[in-house]
Amino acid sequence: AAPGSVPGRSNRSAVPGPSPVGGTGARLAAGPEMHFGFQTVTEEERREKIYQVFENVAKKYDVMNDSMTLGIHRVWKDILVHKMNPCPGTLLLDVAGGTGDIAFRFINYVRSVRQRQLQRKLKHHQNLSWQEIFESYQKDEFNSLGDSQVVVCDINREMLKVGKQKAEHLGYSEGLSWVLGNAEELPFDDDKFDVYTIAFGIRNVTRIDLALQEAYRVLKPGGRFLCLEFSHVSNPLLSRLYDLYSFQVIPVLGEVIAGDWRSYQYLVESIRQFPPQEELKVMIEDAGFFKVDYENLNFGIVAIHSGFKL
Amino acid sequence: MATRWPGATPYSPIPAAKNLPGGGTGQERERKVVSKGNQQYPPLRALQASAVLRRASDEHKKEPLASSSQQHFDSPPAGHQPEQKPQGPHPSYTGQGGQESEDYESEEQLQHRILTAALEFVPEHGWTAEAIAEGAKTLGLSVAAAGMFRSDGSELILHFVSECNSKLSELLQKEQKLVQLGEAEKKPIDEFLRDAVEARLRMLIPYIEKWPQALSILLLPRNIPSSLNLLTSMIDDIWHYAGDQSTDFNWYTRRAVLTGIYNTTELVMMQDSSPGFEDTWRFLGNRVADAMAMSSTASQVQSTGEAVVQGLMGAAVTIKNLAGLNQRR
Repeated sequence: AAPGSVPGRSNRSAVPGPSPVGGTGARLAAGPEMHFGFQTVTEEERREKIYQVFENVAKKYDVMNDSMTLGIHRVWKDILVHKMNPCPGTLLLDVAGGTGDIAFRFINYVRSVRQRQLQRKLKHHQNLSWQEIFESYQKDEFNSLGDSQVVVCDINREMLKVGKQKAEHLGYSEGLSWVLGNAEELPFDDDKFDVYTIAFGIRNVTRIDLALQEAYRVLKPGGRFLCLEFSHVSNPLLSRLYDLYSFQVIPVLGEVIAGDWRSYQYLVESIRQFPPQEELKVMIEDAGFFKVDYENLNFGIVAIHSGFKL
Repeated sequence: MATRWPGATPYSPIPAAKNLPGGGTGQERERKVVSKGNQQYPPLRALQASAVLRRASDEHKKEPLASSSQQHFDSPPAGHQPEQKPQGPHPSYTGQGGQESEDYESEEQLQHRILTAALEFVPEHGWTAEAIAEGAKTLGLSVAAAGMFRSDGSELILHFVSECNSKLSELLQKEQKLVQLGEAEKKPIDEFLRDAVEARLRMLIPYIEKWPQALSILLLPRNIPSSLNLLTSMIDDIWHYAGDQSTDFNWYTRRAVLTGIYNTTELVMMQDSSPGFEDTWRFLGNRVADAMAMSSTASQVQSTGEAVVQGLMGAAVTIKNLAGLNQRR
C-alpha cells in the first residue's frame, strides 16, 4: 500500500518515506536515509527512535500484543516452535526475544519431549529394581531439559528486564540466559547455535542484511534460521480490512491501554515498510542460507521464513 | 525398457518449499546471486559448510600432506572456514575448475547422506525426526538439520525403501550377467521369483522391529503416491530380470500377482518369530507355487472349456443327423 493512500494519516506530520519496494540496500545507496515508519530518518536516528519506542512499551508489551492481535500471537508463536520441532540438546538463540515468549515455549516443548524420551527408556528397563531406577534418576539422564539451552538476546535493556521478571514469575530458571546485544553485531562466537529465531524483531533491525549475516555466522553447520514476522497480505479484500484495522484500531488501543499513540503508529507503519515474503526470502538466500522457504499464516498477515546453514 | 511402468523414477527427497520457483523433485537448484528479478533457473550454489566438514573428515583419513589447506584444519573443522571466499556465497558453476566441483555437493546429495547416516539410529529411535537428528549429528551437522525433512519421518522410510530397491536391482543385474557369461544356470521362473522376493525381504531384517511403524506411515494418504511408485517399480524390475516380455494383458496379471505375493509375505514376516524366518520363506514358496499352478490351471480351464463347447456342437450335429433334419431335399 502506497503511503499516500493510507487513511488516518492526515493529522500526522510524517513525511512519506521512500518507496517500500527495492530493499534496504537501495535505500542506503541514496544516502544515510532510512525509514522509521513512514518518516525518513538517518540510520543513527532510526536506532535511537526504535530503542525509545521499545523502552516506552516494554511494560505493556504483552498486554498490547494480546489486545492488538486478539490473542492470536500466541498461536503464531506456538506454530513457530512446533515448526522448529527441537529435540533435547538443542541450543537456541532467540534474538530480539525481549520478553521471552519464544524462549518459554521452547523450554516447555523440550521438556515434554524429554519426558517422553525418559518414559520410553524406562519401558525398556522393565526388569530393574527400585534401587536401580532411583540410581538412574541420579545420573544426568534425569536432566529434565536434556542439556537444551536458550539464550535470549535483545538490544533493549527494558525489554530484557521485563523478560527476566516474567521468567521469575512463571518459574523458568533452568537453561535460560539473558544477554544484551545488537542483532547486527552479536556478542557470540562463530558456529555456536543450533537454531536462531527472531520473532517480530527483524522489522526493527536497521540493517537487515547485517543481521542475516550475523545469523549465518553464529549458527552451526546444519543450523536453522527461523524468522516470524508480519508480512504482506495478497488477498485484496483482506488487505483492505487489515489496513483499516491496523491504522484505525491499533493506535487507538495503544493510546488507551499503554498511553502511547506514537509507538503503535510506528509499529503499524513499520509493518507496511517491511519487505514482502519473496523479497525477504531472497535476502535470506543472499546471506548464504539454503532451503529457504516461507509459510504464510493467516493469509500473509504473518509469515515464517526458514533457512539452513548448509 | 518398454515394459516399465510409467513414471518410475528413483525416489529423491521432496523439497520442503511448495513456493520454490522453478523447483521440482530431483532438479538441481541454481540461482544468480545479485539480481532479484528473473529467478527461473539460478546457477548452482555450493553447500559450503557441509562441504568443508566433508573435506575435513576426508583429509583426516588421508596422510597429512604439507599443503596450505591442511593448516586450516588444525582447529576443529566446524569452526573456521578461511579458505572460503570472504564475500560469502559465490556462484560456483560445476563446469569451472575440476577440483571445485568435487568438493561442492547439492542439497539433494546432502539430504541423501543425512538420511543414510540416520538409518543406523532407526532401531533405537524408530522412523522419526530424532533418528534423522542423530544421523545429522554423526555427519558433524547440527541437530536442527532434521528440520529439512518432514517431522513424521516419512522421507527416511522412502529413502530406505528406495535404497533397498536399488540394491535389489544391482543384485539381479549381477545374476543376469553371470547367466549371460554362462557361469550360472538360468533359474526356472518360480525359483527366480522366490529368490528375488526373499533377497528383498531379507534387507528388512535389521529394522524388523520398527518396520510395522514404517508400513503404517507409508499407508498415510500423503505418502501413498510415492510408496506405490516405489513398490510398482520394484515389482516391474523383478519381472524384467525374470525375462518377462509380455505385451498383452498378461503384463498386468503378472505384476498384480507378484505384488500380492510380496505384500502378503511382508505381512507374514512382521509377525514371524521362527528362527531365521523359516515360516516366512515357506509361506513365500507356497504362494509362488500357487501362482504358477494358477496360471497353468487357467490355461487348462480355457482349453477344457473349448473342448466342452466342441463336444456339445458335435452332439448337436449328431442329433440333427439322427433326426433327419440335415437332409437336403
